[in-house]
Amino acid sequence: MSAPVLKIDRLRLEIDGAAVVDGLSLSVDQGEIVALVGESGCGKSLSALAILRLLPEAVTLAGGRIMLEGRDLSGLDARSMAGVRGRSASIIFQEPTASLDPLMTVGDQIAEALTAHGKMSKQEALRRARDMIVSIGISDPDRRLGQYPFELSGGMCQRIMIAIALICGPRLLIADEPTTALDVTIQAQILHLIKELVSARGTSVLLITHDMGVVAEMADRVAVMYAGRMAETATVDDLFRAPKHPYTALLLASIPHAGQAPKSRLATIEGTVPRPSADDAGCRFASRCPLAEDRCRGVAPPLVDHGGGHLAACWRSDDVVALRAAA
Amino acid sequence: MIAPVLTVTGAAVHFRQRSGFLRKGGPVLRAVDGVSLTIAPGETLGLVGESGCGKSTLANAIVGLAPLAGGAITVAGRTVDSRSPDSLRTIRGDAQMVFQDPALSLNPRLSVGAAIGEPLLVRGQARGAALRDRVAALLTAVGLSPDHAGRFPHTFSGGQRQRIVIARALALQPKLVICDEPVSALDVSVRAQILNLLVDLQRERGISYLFVSHDISVVRHIADRVAVMYLGRIVETADRRILFTTPRHPYTQALLSAAPEPDPERQRAKPRRVLEGELPSATDVPPGCAFSTRCPIATELCRRTPPELTARPDGAFVACHHDSG
Repeated sequence: MSAPVLKIDRLRLEIDGAAVVDGLSLSVDQGEIVALVGESGCGKSLSALAILRLLPEAVTLAGGRIMLEGRDLSGLDARSMAGVRGRSASIIFQEPTASLDPLMTVGDQIAEALTAHGKMSKQEALRRARDMIVSIGISDPDRRLGQYPFELSGGMCQRIMIAIALICGPRLLIADEPTTALDVTIQAQILHLIKELVSARGTSVLLITHDMGVVAEMADRVAVMYAGRMAETATVDDLFRAPKHPYTALLLASIPHAGQAPKSRLATIEGTVPRPSADDAGCRFASRCPLAEDRCRGVAPPLVDHGGGHLAACWRSDDVVALRAAA
Repeated sequence: MIAPVLTVTGAAVHFRQRSGFLRKGGPVLRAVDGVSLTIAPGETLGLVGESGCGKSTLANAIVGLAPLAGGAITVAGRTVDSRSPDSLRTIRGDAQMVFQDPALSLNPRLSVGAAIGEPLLVRGQARGAALRDRVAALLTAVGLSPDHAGRFPHTFSGGQRQRIVIARALALQPKLVICDEPVSALDVSVRAQILNLLVDLQRERGISYLFVSHDISVVRHIADRVAVMYLGRIVETADRRILFTTPRHPYTQALLSAAPEPDPERQRAKPRRVLEGELPSATDVPPGCAFSTRCPIATELCRRTPPELTARPDGAFVACHHDSG
């Protein structure tokens, strides 16, 4: 088996000394789509930004290693890091219209990614940009290249973002809520496109989302985060079929399903997510967990392997089945 | 038959986009274009569609927040006239709204108790100790504590704020509550709490809901009947079960196929129909069927003649030339 394209090892991110991401380990293999899921504030987006060292100023990288294509990114200076972005790994965001420069034509923005990274002529770059947008299924490419972002719909802007992200042929695409701002039929088009690109180019994808429907549709493997820590990771089928962490189980049970009686009671998670603090002994989910006992409040559970790459950080994993049945 | 709580007959809402000399001209945007629907007492009608289809404009028109260019709306038998303050005052006793973002729906300078009690105070229905009791009862009904009355909105989480907004909407004991994307701004686990609350309140009080949402799985959960909108028109309406098992309009089919199911096995088994193209502009609606530019089965007839919404034997209504029943 080849080495993973991305390997994150015990990543720790802090704001004012409090951990907002605490010991996250994660890997993405060649051609694999890994979904990183969790609710707002769980640290999934910050983890993604940390990979390309795009963190906001308030957040500090306090520990851990990030390996991309076998290279340790933590040793790189700003200049080498700029070479990594776009060429080894690219990122697309939720708001495509906010990610594009309103004063530049779409063609120039795609071409810029090429000219910034190598000694390519503008003409050659524009020709490659045209090929790229044809390959992602945009019709009328010559007209599109000359247009400005305001002339395009949200779905079209996200296609352009994907073109910019992929034009230098990165091994890893980080997609941070790429379809959250889009309508459902347009979301289907974009998700379909990402899947096609993965199978055609062997690109790996780290997909950050809060939408379990998108996870079920896209992911090979899933990592669930809660309050800065990894709660559980498994293949997509294992995770949906037999979650081993109470948070995952309740999260899944709180979403209305196709087979469910209408207006039936949905599972809920009482309470609120704890704030990041320097003092974080115990399981972070303990204050909201129906299974919590003294041990959970005292000692943070380690990630335990349940076989087949299914890992969960819970002292009471074996009781999650019963919890799920009751939910 | 029991009289419906809401009757919408051929409603149209048009906006003129200002442009040109003296900003008089400009194209007409047909946000809502000939919509008819009814809601029975205690019933939930889910209204689905993508952004720009006119679902929020229709919701606004029902409480008189958008003027009608044609057609009529009655709430509990009384006609909504957005130009008459008396009419609006009456209607808003019977029909209340809950919007998407609870942070924007609450006045940050008003205590929660004052916000919830304001409709009662304004209408002279309660004051003093009686008002405090009513507010306490409303807070309890939405799962908050009467002690919360003295606190301000910023001290609450998003889910709690939406509970406050719901309590305020219930203050006048309306017959109809219009929920416009009420859970779209909330995290998944909190979303379930609010959906449970809406279901409970309906069972206790017999309220009707018009539940506007782009989220298919939420509508499937909460609605008794569903109406699907596309470019200002209703293309299909049916009982929940019928709509989700046998969607008839090609747009409904595409919409259901595009909504990802939170279950990998079901998701893989689902028929795939990725819809080409995008929503046309509402200022330039295609002459025939509005969906004909993206429809996989459109013919010359569809591009020329708009299909009427017609009844099917199972109670569904479909606006498609190519659906035979």
